[in-house]
Formats: sequence, C-alpha cells, structure tokens
Amino acid sequence: MKYTLLKIIHVTGLSFLEPIVRLCYWEDPALQLKKIGQFIVVPLIAVLFCIGAWSWIGPQLKTKSGAVPTPGIVADAFGGVMQFFYRENTKEDDYVLTGEARQKQLGEVEKRLAELATFKEQVDAKVAETEKSREAFWKENVAPFEEELAKKSEELIAKEKQALEKVKEKASAITDTSPADARQEIVEGIAVYDALKKADEEILKAYQERANDAAGKVYKPYQSALKAQTKVVEEILFLEKRKELLTASNRETKVDEVKTELNSLEEQFATASGVKMLGLANRIVKTQERIETVERSSYAKPWTLPAQTLRSLACVFTGFVLASIIAVPIGILCGLSSTFMAAMTPFIALFKPVSPIVWLPIALIIVGGLIPDPENHWLLNAVEENWFIGWLKINPAFIASAVTVALCSLWPTLVNTALGVASIDKDHLNVARVLRLGFTRRLVSIVIPSAMPLIFAGMRISLGVGWMVLIAAELLASSEGIGKFVWDMFNNGSSVTFAQMFVVMFVVGIIGFMLDRIMIILQRLVSFDGATAAI
Amino acid sequence: MQLSRMGFVFAVIALATIVSFVQAEEIEFLDVEKSKLKLGFIKLTDCAPIVIAKEKGFFSDEGLQVEVVAQPNWKTLLDNVVSGNLDGAHMLSGQPIAATIGYGTKAHVVTAYTMDLNGNGITVSNSIWREMQKANPELNSPHPPHPIKADALLPIVEEKLALGEKLQMGMVFPTSTHNYELRYWLAASGINPGMYTEADPAGGRVDAMVELSVTPPPMMPATLEAGNIQGYCVGEPWNQQGVAKGIGVPVVTNYDIWKNNPEKVFGVSKEWADKNPHTHIGVVKALIRAGRWLDETDSSGKLVNREEAARLLSRPNYVGADYDVIRNSMTGYFYFQKSDKREMPDFNVFYKYNCTYPWYSDGIWFLTQMRRWGQIPHTKTEAWYHETVKDIYQPKVYLTAAKMLVDEGKIKKDEIPWDTDGYKSPTSDFIDGITFDAHDPIGYLNSHKIGNKDP
Repeated sequence: MKYTLLKIIHVTGLSFLEPIVRLCYWEDPALQLKKIGQFIVVPLIAVLFCIGAWSWIGPQLKTKSGAVPTPGIVADAFGGVMQFFYRENTKEDDYVLTGEARQKQLGEVEKRLAELATFKEQVDAKVAETEKSREAFWKENVAPFEEELAKKSEELIAKEKQALEKVKEKASAITDTSPADARQEIVEGIAVYDALKKADEEILKAYQERANDAAGKVYKPYQSALKAQTKVVEEILFLEKRKELLTASNRETKVDEVKTELNSLEEQFATASGVKMLGLANRIVKTQERIETVERSSYAKPWTLPAQTLRSLACVFTGFVLASIIAVPIGILCGLSSTFMAAMTPFIALFKPVSPIVWLPIALIIVGGLIPDPENHWLLNAVEENWFIGWLKINPAFIASAVTVALCSLWPTLVNTALGVASIDKDHLNVARVLRLGFTRRLVSIVIPSAMPLIFAGMRISLGVGWMVLIAAELLASSEGIGKFVWDMFNNGSSVTFAQMFVVMFVVGIIGFMLDRIMIILQRLVSFDGATAAI
Repeated sequence: MQLSRMGFVFAVIALATIVSFVQAEEIEFLDVEKSKLKLGFIKLTDCAPIVIAKEKGFFSDEGLQVEVVAQPNWKTLLDNVVSGNLDGAHMLSGQPIAATIGYGTKAHVVTAYTMDLNGNGITVSNSIWREMQKANPELNSPHPPHPIKADALLPIVEEKLALGEKLQMGMVFPTSTHNYELRYWLAASGINPGMYTEADPAGGRVDAMVELSVTPPPMMPATLEAGNIQGYCVGEPWNQQGVAKGIGVPVVTNYDIWKNNPEKVFGVSKEWADKNPHTHIGVVKALIRAGRWLDETDSSGKLVNREEAARLLSRPNYVGADYDVIRNSMTGYFYFQKSDKREMPDFNVFYKYNCTYPWYSDGIWFLTQMRRWGQIPHTKTEAWYHETVKDIYQPKVYLTAAKMLVDEGKIKKDEIPWDTDGYKSPTSDFIDGITFDAHDPIGYLNSHKIGNKDP
C-alpha cells in the first residue's frame, strides 16, 4: 500500500505529499515533519501571506476603472459568473419541461415572485431615499471641487487674455520707425504668454484631478442600496423569463399550438374542394414539418464560462493532436537523417519565432477559403449531428484557433523528437543492424521507444505553449472559449470587469497546471528510467 | 375570359410601376425556413431591439430560437454575416451600403429594418475643451448654450497646423455614421476632415486639417486618456463614460448635428434573405415589436420600459456595462459635464417617427456622404443613387411583416407609413441648416462647401 501510494505520488510529480504518506507509516517522523514544514507549511504560509498582502494592497491601487479587486470581490465575481451559468441552465431546462414537472416548477416560480414583490418595494424605497441623501453628499463633497475648478479656469483664462491683449497693444503701437528692441519685446511677450499658458494648464490639471478624485468617491449607502435593488430586480427578471418559458414559450405549449393549427387545417381540408385543397394540403404538410422542428428545438442558450472552458479545452486538444501528428514524424525523420534535418532547419528556424497573432489571420483566411459555406459543409454538419461533440458548435473560427495552436506549439515537440531520435544509444542501433531488422521494425521496436521520454517532454512543453496561445487566438478569432470571455468582459467595462479578469486568471492557471500534471504522468509512464521532470 | 384576365394583370403591373409605393406582400402564413438563428451585435446600447426581441420572447413567438452573439468589431461582424457564420446582425447604416457598392468588404448586404435614431456624441479632451472655452467665452459656463459648433475648434486646429501638428480624433469605422457625423460637424465650421482618394483609400487623410482614425468603441476613453487622440465620436455608453471618468467633455450629440438621423440597421446578406424570405419577415416582425416595446410611454409621456431594458442590456452577455451607466442615456438624459445634466427625450429613438421603416432617403444620405468624402471615387448619376438604395433597403419585407402584425393585433395600423414612396420629406434640421432632399442627391452634394462636387 505504502509503496503503491509513493509510486503514485512519484509518477504524478506531487512529491510534496510524500512526507505525509511516510509519516502515516511512522517512518522517521522527525525528518518527515521537517519536510512537511518545508514543502507544505512554508508554501501555504507564502500563499496566505500573498492573499493577505493582496487584500491590503489592492484597494490602495486606484485606477480609472476602480480599485484592484480584493480576494472577496474576486470570489463574488466568480459567484456572479456561476450564477449566470446556473440561471441559463435553468432556462434551458424549463423550455423542455412538460406536464406535471412543468406545473410544479411554475408553482415554485410564482411563489417566489410573490415573495419578491414585497422585497422590491423595500429596495426601491431604499434607493429613492439614498438617492436624495446622495445629492446632499454630492453638494457637500464634490460640487465644491467642481466649482473651484470652474472658477479657477475662468480666472486663468481671463489672466491669459489680459496678457495676450497687452502684447497685442504693444504690437499695434509699433511703427516702421520703432527700434529693434521694441520688436524684440513682442517676441518676449509671446514667450511669456506661452509659458503662462503652459503653467496654467498644469495648475488646472491639478484642480481637475482633485475634482475627479472627489467625484470618484462613492456614496456607500446609495451604492449598497443600488446593489440590493439590482439583486432583487435581476431575480425578478429571471423568474419572469422562467415563467414565460414554462408557459407561453414552453416547447410543449408550442407543439400544442401548432397541433391545434394542424387540426383546424385538417377540418377545413375535410370540407374543402377544388383548387383550394392544394393550398390547404401544402399548409398541412408544412405544419406537420413545423411540429417536428418545434419538437426538436431547444432554448438558445448563451455561452457561459464553464461551457467556454470546456470548448477551450477541446480546442487546445485538437490543436495539440494536430501538432503532434505533424511534429512527431518530421522529428523522427530529422533525427534519423542529418540530411533531412539540414533540409528542415531553415523552415524550423524561420517559422518557430512567428507569433500566434500572425498565424491566426493566415489560418482564418485559409480555413475560411476551404469552408466557404459553413452552413452546408459536410464536415461541420457531421460534427454538429454528433451527440458527443455537437454541443461544441465547431465552426471555422474554432478550426482556425486550433490550427494556430498547432502551428505555434509543434516546434518543441519537433525539436525534442529529433533530439531524442538522434541521441539513441548507438549500441541499440548496432544490435538492430546485426539482427537485420527492417526499417519499420527498427522504428517501432527501437527508435520510438527509446525516444519516447524526450518526445513526451517536448509534447509537455507544446501543450503548455498551446494553452497560452489559445487564449490569444480565441480572443482574436472571436471563437467561443476563455479568450472570448476575456474580451467580452473587458469590453463590457463594468464595475466587475476587473474582478472577472482575476477569475479568468485563476481558471486558466489551474487548468494549465492540471494539463501539465497530466503530461508529466504520461511522460513518467513511458520512461524506463523514471526520468525526473522539473516542476 | 382568358384575355381579359391577362389584360387585368397587365393593368396591375402598369399601375404598380407608375405608383412607386411599395406594397406589402400577401402571406397566408409564416413558414420559417430556419428556426435556429445566430444574430450578431456590438456592445452598444442601440443593439437593444435584438436583445429585447429575444428576452421578451418576440422571436420565440415567430417560432425562432435566436442566439445573440457579441462581435469584437464591425469588420468581423460584417465578415461573419457575409460568410454565413451569422444569420444577421446589428449594423452601421453605412455598412450594407458600402458592402454592396464594394467599398471595403464586397458583398450584397440588405436591410429591411432601421434599428434606431440618434444615440451618438462627440467628446473632446479636457484641455481641448478649455481651449474651446478660450476661443468662445460663451462656452465658459456650467451650462453653455447648445448646440456647440466646431467654430470654437477652428482656431485650435489652425494654431496646431501652423505648428505643423494635426489634431487627432477617433471614430469607430470608415463607413460608420460616426465618421460621417464627425466630418459633417467639422466641415460645417470650415474644418476639412480629409478626403479619401485613390492614394489613401482607407485613411481619408488627404488635405486633412484634422486627422481621423479608427478606434473600437470600448477603447475610446482609454485612447483619449492616453493622449493618442484629442477627441472622438462614438455611441453610448462611451461618451457618458468619458464624463464619469472625468477625462473628457461631450460637446455635441448627433441629435444636434442632424435631428433624428438614422443610426443602425438590421443587416443580412442578400443570399440569406433570398434563401430564407419567411425567416427574414419573422425576424423583422419580432424587431418591430421590440422597437415598439422600447418606445412605449405612459400617459405622461414617460418611457415606461427603458429601465427594464437597461437592466437586460447590462447583463454580461449583452452590453454588460453597469446598469446606472446604461440607464443614463437610455432614460432620456445626457450628461454633458458632471454639472450639466440635460433632458434629451429623443436621444435614443427606437419606434417613434416611423423610424423602424427602411427609408430609401436614409441610404441616399449615406451615399452622398460617401461620394462627398471620396469613398466613392467617381462621379455617379442621380439614377445610380436611387437604384443603389433600392437594391439595399427592402421596405417590402418590412411592410409585409408590419401587415401581419396589424392582422394579429400586435400593432396599430396608424403606426406604419403604408403610403410612402420611401423618401422622407426634405429636411433642414442640420447643424448648418442645409436642406437635404433625397430626390436630388447631386444637388445636395453640391450644396456643401467642403468635399467632392459632381456636375
């Protein structure tokens, strides 16, 4: 048991757990405790310290988009993202609910709505009340600065004007016979005026900043009243939409509606005669078709962060597989033949440093050219029909992002594979020669197995690169995924935007970490010697 | 019998060509060809009709399940509509026109629904505002008289030019309403915003006294703050954001530049419209209802649904800005400075003044501006203007949709301009008072001092 656990820990590279296991088996407890202190307690303290420092420093750093969010605000933002996810899922479910389950949900929704009606009155009153006191607050704290700014600005403008007038007067007094230094005086006058203007600009800037700071002060009672109101109103809007989806817009209701229509058409048809029948028959056929479409329809749900994350993972995986398919064979050939390597070197050297931002538009144009009509493309349609990956809604933007990931991430695998193959023990190859193994046999039994650890080391780097590149690619291609989420939320420019960026940072970081671990495990599993991997 | 029937048909055809009223098509029932749609939008408050039609279930009433997808910029949005990734989208009025005549992305794009009127503003940085106050002492007040013309900007521009510099201003897209409005405002005061020529087909900077450049709407305040531009023309909420952050002063709204000017349209590709005629009508039906819902008022004239609309728009998958920022302009107010809050009941119009009708005259105005600034490089005949807009604006689809709504009792008959030839009556509600008569595009083009003129 102990050794199984240790083996697992070793393979997964989670070596910080090792002392705990050993401690459980009471193996040199003093040493294990020391190790626990070093590898678990110290990092934990560091993390806690960072969180503490973050929550203290964050609010001190003020930007035009608000202060840096504290961990609490980030957690709130995460809650908001998850609430959006939950609400959209509920709506999706509501749309397809039928019969009794639908009635039950409807009852619950109505009950909650009745409850909220009283809440709403309260929060509305609170907002109205604080709105009034906010005006007083504004008059007291902000208006004086604004007035000061306006007054100062007026004063300075008057002063500047005076200065300019003086120079103008002097200039008009000058005649042909005026001495040169009188002319010089005008130049000096203008220089003084110019300097004055610049100095005033600086003074006003300071005033402006003070006014901005004052205006930036939030009146907390109002803000919290507004927040409470938003919470209640959002829930009401959500429940009203649910109600609609459970009644008038429900799929069952819609099917019933179309069926009633069909019935009445059929009745008309039963009594109709002559040419009129054709039109009715046509409508009956169309209505029957419509029943089918409605029965198959689903609520058009917007993308949510969890779904986007899964799509990003699918995209990076596609790109990664693509990269491996290209890089491993070429890498093997490069490793086997130095001539081939020489032929490939210029390409590797030239394309390796190309940024994803350049690859993406190229990929978009090429993919767009290959799939001119995405609606009716056989491959996309086949994928859409597939129950397993249909929800990914694979489109040209997805493919272009995956191709970009592949193009950016294939290099580490390629180079490592070439290195792995080139550095195979000569003895092994000699044995192959003695045994007169064919090329395929040699490849499968000797070359690939011995290069495996390095190939996987390369793949691990590739996956890491791919994950980083993907976010940028999705952002540019506006392919649904984490990158699109980042860009959309950034463009929202709302008060939670900043915190949402932090949420994404953690999501991306945690997933990147997990991908890396998975690759480490694979790498260890294929190595004979259990080669150690760096953290 | 047969002959007289033929004669009747001919007579009807002849009549139809003489009277150029567009007639609604008789449709017995709506048989949507495609029930799952993806519509694109840009994060601006005037995407409201699409969002409302979805959230209030108007799309669903037409048997449509619609996904509403945010687009990163106008170029991508148009490309997605053309390539078929999107079924339709919230578009700049100039986009279908430019795409159809082949300026920029070439593709036949049509529209049957105008989404809104007004809704833009021009903001200048604090220091330019102070310079303007110096040039025109009248502006030096917490409530300066409006409309503010670019006259106060002229001395600043000239001073900069004398020093070999150019004032830099931002707008959102070469064929955007914002570009034409900013140019109109500048040119009305004798400031040349620059021409598009064959040497500079995309920049439009030839002979410019002020340099205009493209910046995506959400980036405007940040770009102004960074000092790369000294002013911008953009839609809401980005002017109000400039005020809220204390980095700029909105000097004029497009309502003052041209009262009740058309702003966004709902665009689809011609190919899509031909393939899905009933779906197109269904979408337009839902949008008409959404526009009506947005402009609903109570007996005192207060817009009753705007707060709810602002709530819906503030969701992260739609416009996503804070509720109180969106509410500012949506509910009929506009802050010119923090101390200068003015009532602007018509800042966003979604249904009043027959605004949802796809007016040919709107298209002609945009064509004249494209010709004026050289985006259309060669002289065009008057007939060309009329033919081109008729290729793009599709009142027939609109009227058919409206007729169905009247029959269903969802709108009232007098809310739709049934008997119009698609041309609004001539108006001189411009900041410079020049009269625009869409029947005479060449005459209008020649009535401007700055810009191309045609014989």
